[in-house]
Amino acid sequence: MFYEYEIDYDTQNSYEKGLSEAFWQFMVIPEDNETQEVTYWHFENDLGERNSVSENGLGFKTVQVRSKQVIDHIKFNAHFKLKKKEINPFGFDLPLNLEDELQILNSIDFKVDHEPYLRKTSLTTLPEQHRDIFLFDSDKSIFENLTDLNYWTFDHIFFKVGVTNVDTPLAEIIEKRQGVCQDFTHLFCAIAKYNGVPCRYVSGYLHQGIGFFGDSQMHAWAEAYVPNVGWLGFDPTNNLLVNHNHIKVCHGKDYNDCAPLKGVVYTLGNNETKYSVLVRTAQEQQQQ
Amino acid sequence: MGPDTDKTIFSSYVRKEGLFDEVFGKDGNVKSVYQKLLDLYGSRSIDDYVTLNNKAKSSFFNQGITFQVYGDKQSQEKIFPFDLFPRIIDPKEWEIIEKGAIQRSLALNHFLWDVYHDKKIVKDGIVPIELLSSSPNYLHQMMEVDPPSKIYNHISGTDIIKHSDGDYYVLEDNIRCPSGVSYVICNRTALKRALFGVFNHYKTHTVTDYAENLLNLLESVKPPGVDSPVCVVITPGMFNSAYYEHSYLAKAMGVELVEGRDLFVENDFVYMKTTQGPVRVDVVYRRIDDLFIDPMEFHPDSTLGVPGLFAAYRKGNVTLANAPGTGVADDKAIYTYVPDIIKYYLDEEPILKNVHTYHCSRPDELQYVLEHISELVIKPVDEAGGYGISIGNKLTKEEIEQVKVKLKANPRKFVAQPIMSLSVHPTYIDQKESFEQRHIDLRTYTVLGQDKQFVLKGGLTRVALQEGNLIVNSSQGGGSKDTWVLKQ
Repeated sequence: MFYEYEIDYDTQNSYEKGLSEAFWQFMVIPEDNETQEVTYWHFENDLGERNSVSENGLGFKTVQVRSKQVIDHIKFNAHFKLKKKEINPFGFDLPLNLEDELQILNSIDFKVDHEPYLRKTSLTTLPEQHRDIFLFDSDKSIFENLTDLNYWTFDHIFFKVGVTNVDTPLAEIIEKRQGVCQDFTHLFCAIAKYNGVPCRYVSGYLHQGIGFFGDSQMHAWAEAYVPNVGWLGFDPTNNLLVNHNHIKVCHGKDYNDCAPLKGVVYTLGNNETKYSVLVRTAQEQQQQ
Repeated sequence: MGPDTDKTIFSSYVRKEGLFDEVFGKDGNVKSVYQKLLDLYGSRSIDDYVTLNNKAKSSFFNQGITFQVYGDKQSQEKIFPFDLFPRIIDPKEWEIIEKGAIQRSLALNHFLWDVYHDKKIVKDGIVPIELLSSSPNYLHQMMEVDPPSKIYNHISGTDIIKHSDGDYYVLEDNIRCPSGVSYVICNRTALKRALFGVFNHYKTHTVTDYAENLLNLLESVKPPGVDSPVCVVITPGMFNSAYYEHSYLAKAMGVELVEGRDLFVENDFVYMKTTQGPVRVDVVYRRIDDLFIDPMEFHPDSTLGVPGLFAAYRKGNVTLANAPGTGVADDKAIYTYVPDIIKYYLDEEPILKNVHTYHCSRPDELQYVLEHISELVIKPVDEAGGYGISIGNKLTKEEIEQVKVKLKANPRKFVAQPIMSLSVHPTYIDQKESFEQRHIDLRTYTVLGQDKQFVLKGGLTRVALQEGNLIVNSSQGGGSKDTWVLKQ
């Protein structure tokens, strides 16, 4: 069974002093993968500049806009239609015994193949004083440990907007116990990596059910690699395994690889960024 | 007081025991390659020499051949200290250097391909994974990227010394943006002006065709489907210490020198802004470090690079020379594995020797280093230009303790090597108004292109101008000499 979604990403950036040259890169296009397929896309900017589709360094699609005129703002809109498969989060076998799992995790081939997502970044390194904050239980499988970690993270951090930003160090998040989806995800990644499990940061859209955190913004969750199963998605902000409501855009080592908007602007003075995201199913669309 | 007019060039030259002198043998006799030079100039006075040397120096200043030193209180243009008395390399010795430098560059190129694709050398246990995963220069973004003609290190600068045992050793590989080649060419030009007569007596390989050969090879690695490629040299700008070289090479190759803001990317193609409108660029000889080439992909607050450049590169629409991510192979911790890397990929014995290196990341080796600091050179693994080096036998007790603290705090950041005795060469010292022995090394330039490669037949002989000093980098007060490679 398929779910059909329509997604709108809207942003407006204003620049106090104006710009004569600028380059923006949006990473907002859902990826095509086994569970989802983009059937339609449309991009618009109010500068009349070309929207070029490109790829970032990890192979995810981007939209680039270059302005050659003197401007003081840009409005950009992306509209997508997407088909998403029903996902059974438990739709795999856990074939291995614990010993075999650990043996794979500790093998050199595994470490080499998954080096990029075992590598710690400044946003995904557990601070020295919090190394033992969540240790994997050797009597449980990797999957069970990850599920426990998902719940633990959800329970440890209180969802609160405005307390942290993209540069807030992990130590501060752990100590304040407050944050948003990025912070939940970075903490989850840091702990999984510290326990030897490859883990990556995922940026995407969440179709909001009742009581989910995610707001009308881009959402973030994690994918961890379970030996002989593959990459599995965990949403620690909502204590969920990813399901058909999670629409993936891209992954990376941390937020910095996945920022929805990057820009180079030559200007003095302040700038202001606003954006919003709307995700609807086709049924919801009809009801409006 | 002026120099003594009846003092000949070498009348007060002192040869110290235990040092390998490039010009004089142990018995005090002149080595054969220098004989002619001494026959011609040996009986001239120091005064004559100074006159010639000053002429040559002023020609440097007039040409604007200068460099800057980072960390000075005020940054100031300096001329590169230059000494007219050349270093001469015998053809047989050169053959070893040439073959050895090519062997190393090819092996490192194989290594780079491997670590960005199958990573066999790591899986086979030859190079430890930690060296890659802890290297900030191992770029995730280069995984599975196939650079045009499969070449990463188009230009390598290999630093070679002659030890007191008379053998050549490689001190380090520089395969990010090695600099200094413009001095090689300018040294030769200055020498030809000042000593034109000598070149009639020596059959010396030319170095002044370097730029032409470089352009040729850069054009050979153009993106597929391009007929006559447009090449540019990109520089971080006039405040970079090697800006003179960037502008020199661009001019000598007859291509544009650009800064980041002179280029733009649209639809994954790179264009140069010109008064006649945009011109597509196919090959970029980039003298900007990896992490600054594209703010979309690397340091987001850098304005030195070009937004979108990396995406254009990944798509195969532009060649970057050197390729991004080469820094993982010239990390000084990787250096120790180069002999193994050569054997692994080429199934050959290394032609040039390596200096034994201790990895402070290994606890037992760290222990050895901590106990023997006074006999070792301690180097940070990822700094270029001779910055951050401590030479054990020159440190005070207090300084040794400081080094120990640094090593223990961040062992992965340091390696240590025995103090090598670099060979010495007679060098004119202004303050002493005479020739004295000074330590020298040799930076060679190896260029890899599509199915062809060359080593510049010459190179930069760098001189440590302070007596007894072993650090030859220009940023550390080193000078240079013209280097002659003789024809067979």
